[in-house]
Amino acid sequence: MSDPVSQILQLVTSTYFLEIVVFPGLISIAILGAFFTWFERKLTARVQLRIGPSYSSPVGGILQGFADIIKLLFKELIIPEGADRFFFIMSPVTALIIGAALLGLIPFAPGVQIANVEVGLPAFLAIVTLSPTLVLLAGWSANSKFPFIGGLRALFQQTAYEIPLWLSALGVVMITGTLNLTGIVQFQQNNGWLILPQALGAVLFIVTSTAEMERLPFDLPEAESEIMMGWQAEYPGPLFMLVQGPAFIKLYAFAALFSTLYLGGYLGPAIIPPIVWFFLKTIVIIVAVMLFRSTFPRVRLDQLLRQGWTTLLTLSIVNIVIAYFIVVGLPAI
Amino acid sequence: MVSQGIPEETGYIIFLFAATLALVITLRLVISPRDPRPTPGKKAPFESGQIATGPGRTRFIIQYYPYILMFVVYDVIAMFLFAWALDLRALGAAGTVPILTFMVVALVPLAYALHLAGQRENW
Repeated sequence: MSDPVSQILQLVTSTYFLEIVVFPGLISIAILGAFFTWFERKLTARVQLRIGPSYSSPVGGILQGFADIIKLLFKELIIPEGADRFFFIMSPVTALIIGAALLGLIPFAPGVQIANVEVGLPAFLAIVTLSPTLVLLAGWSANSKFPFIGGLRALFQQTAYEIPLWLSALGVVMITGTLNLTGIVQFQQNNGWLILPQALGAVLFIVTSTAEMERLPFDLPEAESEIMMGWQAEYPGPLFMLVQGPAFIKLYAFAALFSTLYLGGYLGPAIIPPIVWFFLKTIVIIVAVMLFRSTFPRVRLDQLLRQGWTTLLTLSIVNIVIAYFIVVGLPAI
Repeated sequence: MVSQGIPEETGYIIFLFAATLALVITLRLVISPRDPRPTPGKKAPFESGQIATGPGRTRFIIQYYPYILMFVVYDVIAMFLFAWALDLRALGAAGTVPILTFMVVALVPLAYALHLAGQRENW
């Protein structure tokens, strides 16, 4: 078994390879990303009493996302004058790799997980922290005014939500006493879902992760009605696909993380297999985040910074205090 | 689920490598269509249909700079709390006084910094 050919053969035929390439891995990420673009357009259309995409298949235009991918993929690659070519192309590509890396950490069902890392939760949050830096780099490299403003907004916005995001996840770590995502799910198997003791933390987590995903109440870096899609303004067709892809992959990854942390992940009555439970919870969160987009107006940057550093930070400290008393117990008076 | 003999971390690196490879193939497909004679307007930066003027990388917004300074300090401080949170069950109430001291020492300057950041005329 020592020669490289048989080693590679062993790797390719293993379930591990299948996981990387097909299910939690790359192919399923691409298909679900395309599916969620269609789903969001259809849902937003329903909220606004429109029909939404309906031509690209017999069933409600469900192939629209794939049609868009094919269209964008074969467009010309136009790079604006004076742009820094390397960073201009590198940042969306890196963002896509980051999105895929996030989903490698999520336990989809018992044993269905690409990497069961001991520090899964901080690893997830640390990897996702890179994305505003890439947005800034993309905005700066385009040598254009709207992208530059969008990139700077991403930088400032990060300072507002990053600390409340980590502190709201801290409550889960305090109660479960582990950073391993599978460990967190197993804790919930014995002690009930964390949405009840950590209700405040869950609300904070979903608000701050919406800001992290740059979705609508907090989509300042790409505000299409103010700064023309912000940092994405100069991206031509194929690269625009690489820019839009990570947005939906991050939505999927954050919804998966939310259901892992607060809704018990793959746990549920044994009538339905665990993987279906997991996707049911994830899709509920995705629908909720998509409805935010149809419901709330965009906040201003100074409002977001002020509220992030005062209200969100205070509430996340209150959440830590709640978690502390759940673990240690109320003092006897 | 890991097959025999492959450590988890190596597998994760293989996963990232495969993601990169898929992207490179995609990009190779993408770079094919080309325009032999592009017009000057085609490559100009977008400025709402006007002819672009001035440098693309303009001045920074400086009014939110204090928040960045605060972020540089307090993002690291928030990380320290994870070490305490992980051991909270073992520490119990014994870790309360040190962490409370730590939080007070951290948060009182934060309140003052927020007060200063709210005063625009300082910047």
